[in-house]
Amino acid sequence: MALTIKEQLSSPGNILKFVIKHNTIFIFVLLVIFSALISDVFFTSVNLSNLLKQVSGIGIISIGMLIVILTGGIDLSVGSMVALLAVTFAILVNTVILPLAIILTIIIGFGLGSVAGYLVAYQKMAPFIATLALMTVARGLGFIYSKGSPITFKTPGGEFMSNFANNSILGVPNIALVFFLIVILAMVMLRYNVFGRLIIAMGSNEEASRLSGIKVSKYKFLVYAISGSLAAIAAIVVASRTNLGSPNMGMAWELDAIAAVVIGGASLNGGKGTAINTLMGVLILGLIGNILNLLNVPSYPQQVVKGAIIIFAVLLQRFERK
Amino acid sequence: MKNSESEYRVEMTGISKSFGVVSVLENVNLKVKHGEIHALLGENGAGKSTLVKILSGVHQKDGGQVLLNGKEITPKNTHDGQVLGISVVYQELSLVNDLSVAENIYLHKLGASKFWMNWKKITKDAQELIDSLGFEIDASSRVRDLSIVQKQVVEIAKALSEDTKVLVLDEPTTVFDPTDTQKLFDNLFKLKEKGISIIYISHHLEEIFKIADSVTVLRDGVDTGSMAVSDTDTDGVIRLMIGRELKDLYPVRDAEIGEEPIFEVKNLNGRRNLVHDVSFDVKPGEVLGIAGLGGSGRTETAKLIFGADKKKSGTLILNGKEIKCNSPVDAVGHEIGFVSEDRKEEGVFLPLSIRKNISVTSLKSISNKLGFLNVDKEFENVLGLIDKLNIKAPSSEVNVKNLSGGNQQKVALAKWLSIDSKVIFIDEPTRGVDVGAKVEIYNLINEVAKKGVGVVVISSDMPEIMGIADRILVMHEGTFYGELAKSEFSEENILRYSIGKPLKQTVLKKNI
Repeated sequence: MALTIKEQLSSPGNILKFVIKHNTIFIFVLLVIFSALISDVFFTSVNLSNLLKQVSGIGIISIGMLIVILTGGIDLSVGSMVALLAVTFAILVNTVILPLAIILTIIIGFGLGSVAGYLVAYQKMAPFIATLALMTVARGLGFIYSKGSPITFKTPGGEFMSNFANNSILGVPNIALVFFLIVILAMVMLRYNVFGRLIIAMGSNEEASRLSGIKVSKYKFLVYAISGSLAAIAAIVVASRTNLGSPNMGMAWELDAIAAVVIGGASLNGGKGTAINTLMGVLILGLIGNILNLLNVPSYPQQVVKGAIIIFAVLLQRFERK
Repeated sequence: MKNSESEYRVEMTGISKSFGVVSVLENVNLKVKHGEIHALLGENGAGKSTLVKILSGVHQKDGGQVLLNGKEITPKNTHDGQVLGISVVYQELSLVNDLSVAENIYLHKLGASKFWMNWKKITKDAQELIDSLGFEIDASSRVRDLSIVQKQVVEIAKALSEDTKVLVLDEPTTVFDPTDTQKLFDNLFKLKEKGISIIYISHHLEEIFKIADSVTVLRDGVDTGSMAVSDTDTDGVIRLMIGRELKDLYPVRDAEIGEEPIFEVKNLNGRRNLVHDVSFDVKPGEVLGIAGLGGSGRTETAKLIFGADKKKSGTLILNGKEIKCNSPVDAVGHEIGFVSEDRKEEGVFLPLSIRKNISVTSLKSISNKLGFLNVDKEFENVLGLIDKLNIKAPSSEVNVKNLSGGNQQKVALAKWLSIDSKVIFIDEPTRGVDVGAKVEIYNLINEVAKKGVGVVVISSDMPEIMGIADRILVMHEGTFYGELAKSEFSEENILRYSIGKPLKQTVLKKNI
């Protein structure tokens, strides 16, 4: 039996319910307060700007991961794709003019994503398997094309990108602006666009979607292609930040992206999740790393804390469902 | 009769239960004698399932008393309930698809007993149990490979695999055709003879009057009456269920039926021969009924036409023009709608709001070229349909999973009314829907037909199909065996055609 809004508000313990419902934002706010109290350095512009720069790359692929997960799929290839595409971008920057290098990298990203999309949507391969295979292939190709070592930007175009990636507007790093722009685009798309509506419908009930006359395969294909394109943008961002493309980039990023999406309350079964909550998930993961660094916690205990936070966040979502 | 110190096997008195602030049961009484079939009636959301779940230990009561054979019991979980001899067959099937029939039937014993299982014995016992029920199912086959009817039988066998004293059946016949239903009833009578008390939940009032000894009616969490079945009639029970008189279950068919068919199917054949040589037409404004036993190919026919399954051959003609319909996308493009019998799996999007459910078919008409939605227009359409179909919900943003079966079904229908469908196939329009909502759905079908739509209704519910259809085609083994005009409508005629026999009358009709 459904509760009316009035009944919800009149019931005791409604504040707790509200917190549980918006748990991602509350965890985020709590972490910010905690960090500010515990460290003097946290609220300095240098630290915050660093934090944003660090999360932007993973953040961009997390948005791609979100739309794949919304359809009930998963994309394990994005981390390796970042490596391959960063190498590709570095090679292109050194050979063609900058705009062409950017466009070509994104097109290649779209193409790589399309391979996963084709396998999943038209060959009915399990997303986990298809993207797992692509993950290995992409990582391998990255090493082949780079001959195993990082490729540095050597042209004025490369210099321009490096400057862009390390500068900021009004204190907000440019690459974070790129990330935020993508989040906003995703938000608008998921909320106000037919494409967004349909992938959510597909994720919540694929058979009902098919029987409602939705081109399920086409949209499945597209989400992986978009995820690949976003991996290309992430690759351009991280390569520009470090002035090079390396086959070792993006190691295990797919897992961080999945974690961010899940912390953001999305369901791995599909149909549930929002861009703003994924942004929160990305920031929460980034914040944990940042504050632990400020406290000089070594990296192994950091991993333990990270894992614990993921479990905590998902447990909170259990309450929400009840 | 065993344990006859007490007159009643089950005595639930003054039961109250609330979830959060919502009171689901208030001071409800249910008394079931030894060896009787006791019907529990009420509309969806009246509290029947909750009451039964308190008895079996799924939920714990907030107040009141439950006596079994005169002794108070407080089962904390379903295991406690089972130990006490209370077995429940729930509406939602709860079988493990990847295990065999036998393993499913004895699932509850797998963890409890010895380390080693005697699989041969278990399979043999299970086979005997199923045979004794009179159904043909191989106990060693995997549940995944069974039909929905067979799964339901396995559920019942599972409930009987224990030393059951109280058997609760929640809408057991929704998936059954008349012959299977009769078999089930025969079994229930046998169990009754053995002194087992049966609590029977159903929306089919005819069933109740066929099998039950007494009846308890719930409305909005309060019991509105308890009596011997012989002391009441359908109208009396309905009055208690919905609190008012229900004049006519079926609407007066007043749609104008066109001359030329709006939709024709010629020589339709499916890939696996489940459907063969199917031809029929439907006229604008007509409600065409398709009857037949479960597995006769009714649903498969609709799915073939709609493009959800692949056709082998066949011609579809819409408004005189031949059309291709190789996928649901094509079908929707030609304004052909299909409401699935499996509401939860194929009909609605449970985790999404009513609004998103209804507008999923009409997104094109409420968005611009770039795909951006005109949300105002969407709300206007959706709120209009919610109002028109009398979907009961606090707002359009409520998730469909929180609605009752009847309201979910209205949402599934609304999806196809939000676009101008020319032909709509409705498979089991009122499965698991309460009486009040049934009437509304029948009226709706009537109204849709009035607009000149060709409506094809598939139903196992014979009174229903005779009440709403203008003409009935009966399927038998994958093809239409016979056609019944309104004057020929009778349960007997439908049944005869269903089992492949000609009608008793002198005029034999087999004009397909």
